[in-house]
Amino acid sequence: MSGPAAGVALIALTAAALPLITRDSYYLDVATTILMNLTLTMSFRLQISTGQINMAHISFMGIGAYASALLVTRAGLSFWATLWIGALVAASLAVPIGSIALRVSGPYYFLITFAFSEVVRLFFNNFFEGLFGGPSGLVGIPKPGRVLGLAFDSKLALYGLMAVMCVVVVLALVRLDYSRFGLTAGAIRQADLVAETLGVNVFRYKLTAFVLGSFVAGLAGVFFAHFRQVLHSSDFGLEPMVLLVVFTVIGGTGSVWGPAVGTILMTIASELLRELHHYEILVFGAVLILTMLFAPEGLVALPSAARRLLRRRRRQATAPAGAGLAP
Amino acid sequence: MSIELLVQALLNGFGLAMVYVLVALGLTLIFSILEIINFAHGEFYMLGGYITYYAYALFGLNYFATLGLAILTVGLAGVAAERLIFHHLRGRALNAFIVSLGLLWVMQAGAQLAFGVLDKPVPSAFSGVVRVFGLVMSVERVVVTLSAIVLIAALYLFLRWSRPGRAMRAVAQDPDAAALQGVNIDAASALGFGVGCALAGGAGGLLAPLFAVSPAMGALPVVKAFIIIIVGGMGSLPGAVLGGLLLGGVEGLGALFMGSAAVNILGFLMVIVVLLVRPRGLLSGA
Repeated sequence: MSGPAAGVALIALTAAALPLITRDSYYLDVATTILMNLTLTMSFRLQISTGQINMAHISFMGIGAYASALLVTRAGLSFWATLWIGALVAASLAVPIGSIALRVSGPYYFLITFAFSEVVRLFFNNFFEGLFGGPSGLVGIPKPGRVLGLAFDSKLALYGLMAVMCVVVVLALVRLDYSRFGLTAGAIRQADLVAETLGVNVFRYKLTAFVLGSFVAGLAGVFFAHFRQVLHSSDFGLEPMVLLVVFTVIGGTGSVWGPAVGTILMTIASELLRELHHYEILVFGAVLILTMLFAPEGLVALPSAARRLLRRRRRQATAPAGAGLAP
Repeated sequence: MSIELLVQALLNGFGLAMVYVLVALGLTLIFSILEIINFAHGEFYMLGGYITYYAYALFGLNYFATLGLAILTVGLAGVAAERLIFHHLRGRALNAFIVSLGLLWVMQAGAQLAFGVLDKPVPSAFSGVVRVFGLVMSVERVVVTLSAIVLIAALYLFLRWSRPGRAMRAVAQDPDAAALQGVNIDAASALGFGVGCALAGGAGGLLAPLFAVSPAMGALPVVKAFIIIIVGGMGSLPGAVLGGLLLGGVEGLGALFMGSAAVNILGFLMVIVVLLVRPRGLLSGA
C-alpha cells in the first residue's frame, strides 16, 4: 500500500504547495483545470479497467453540469447541495443507460455509447432552448456560494476546492483499485469469460464501474459549470471526449498513475498550444497514434519496458545461442 | 395527408440514405476483415469531397471522371493507412480504435491547415427535376442515388466473384483458415481497408455538390453510418443496406412531422430499440 499512498500524498502536497509558489490567476486556472481533468481521467480509467471504453463518459459530466447549473439558477438551490444532486443525477441516469450499453461489448459498446453521447449533445443543443440555452449556451451560472465562513469568489478558493475534491476522489479510486473490486476488474479486463466461470457477476461489476465513474464525472461536471460559469453542448461533444481518451491512455491505463502523468503532461501541452488550435489537435492526434504504436502500455510503463528489454539483451549476450525460448 | 406526400418523403429519405450506405459498407467491410472500428472513416469521406472540389469545381474535370479519381485516390490513402498504422495493431481492437480517434484528429487538423476552415461550395453538375406520378426529385439527386446504387452493386460483384474479393471474404470468415489456403492476409487486409475507404471517398465525391466541402464534413455521414451498421449488424453487408433503408425511411417520414434536430435523434433511438431487441443488429450472423 505504500506506493499508492505515497503517490496520493505527493499529489496532495504538490497541490497544497502550488499557491505558495504562485498566485498568478492564469497558473491557478491551469492548475485547476489539471485537477478537474485528473478527476475525470481517473473515473474514466475505472471504466477502462473493466475493459470498456465508454465514449459517453463526457456526457455524464455534461449531465451533472447542466443539472447543477439549472438547479442553482432556476430553483435557487445552493451549489453545496447541487454538487451532490448533480452527481447523483448523472449516476442515476447511468443505471439504465449502462444496463442497455453493457448488454454488448467491444466495438458495439464503443458505438452505442457514442450514439448515446450524440443524443445527449443534440438534446442540450436543440431542445428546450429556454432551459438549456440552445446553441448560444447556458450563461450566468454563479460561482459557489459561501459555506462555513469561506467565500468561493477567488481563483485561489476555487483551486482549493477542486484540489480537495480531486484528492478525495483519487484516494477513493486508488483504494478501490487495490481492493477486491480492483482485482476483479482486472480479471474481467484480461479474460471476462474466465472470470464469469469463476463465479464473478461480470455484468454487475461493469455496471458498478459505469455508475461509479459517472458519479465522479458528474461531480467534475458540477464543478466545471460553476468554474467556467458558461456551458455549451460542444463542451461535452466528441472533441473533449477524444481529449479525455488521449489524457487517459497516453500515460497508460495499467496503473492509476498513468492517467495522472498523462493528464498533467497533456493539459500543460494543451495550454502551450492553445493559440494554435489546429496544430494542437494535429499534435495530440499524432502523439496518440505514436503512443499506441510504440508504447501501447503508455508512458508510465516505458521504464519497466526498457528494463525488460535491457535484461533480455544482456541475457542474449551471455547465454549461448539457442538457449532462449522467448520469441 | 396524401399518399403522394408519404411516398415523396420516403423517396427523399432513401435517396441520401443510399450514399450513407456506401460509407457504412466501407466501415463494415473494414470491421469484418480487420475487426477495427475506424472512427476516422468520415475523414476519408472528407478527402473524397476535397478531391471533387479541386478536380471538378476548380480544375473543371468531368463529373464522373472526378468521382473515379476520388475513389481511386482515397482508396490508395486507405491502403497507406493500413500498411503504415493499422497493420501493426492487428488483433488489438481497443488500441486500433484509439488510434483511429488519433487519425481522425490528424486528418481533420491536416485538412484545416491545408485547405482552410471555410466551407467550399461545389457547383451542381445537373439541373432540373424529374416528375413521375406526381413525385418530384431533382435530377442531381437521382444521379447521386443511382451512382450510389451502381457502386453498391459493383462492390457486391467484386466481393462475390473476383479473386481478391473472395480472398477478403475468406479472411473475414477465418483468417487462419484463409492463410492455410494460401490467401495473403496482409494483402487482403490492406486491400480491404483501401476498398472500404474508397467507398467513403466515392460517397464524399457524390455528396460534395449537395453540401459544401469543409474539414468537418465527415462527422455527419460517419454518425449515420454508425447507426446503419449497428442496426444492420456489424460486419454484415446486406445488414448495412437494410440498415440504410430503415434509417432513410425513418428519417424521411420523421422529416414530415418534426424538425431536423429531432430527426437526428430518431436514428439514435432506433439504435437503442434495435440493441434492446437484437443486441448484435438485425442481420448479424455472429
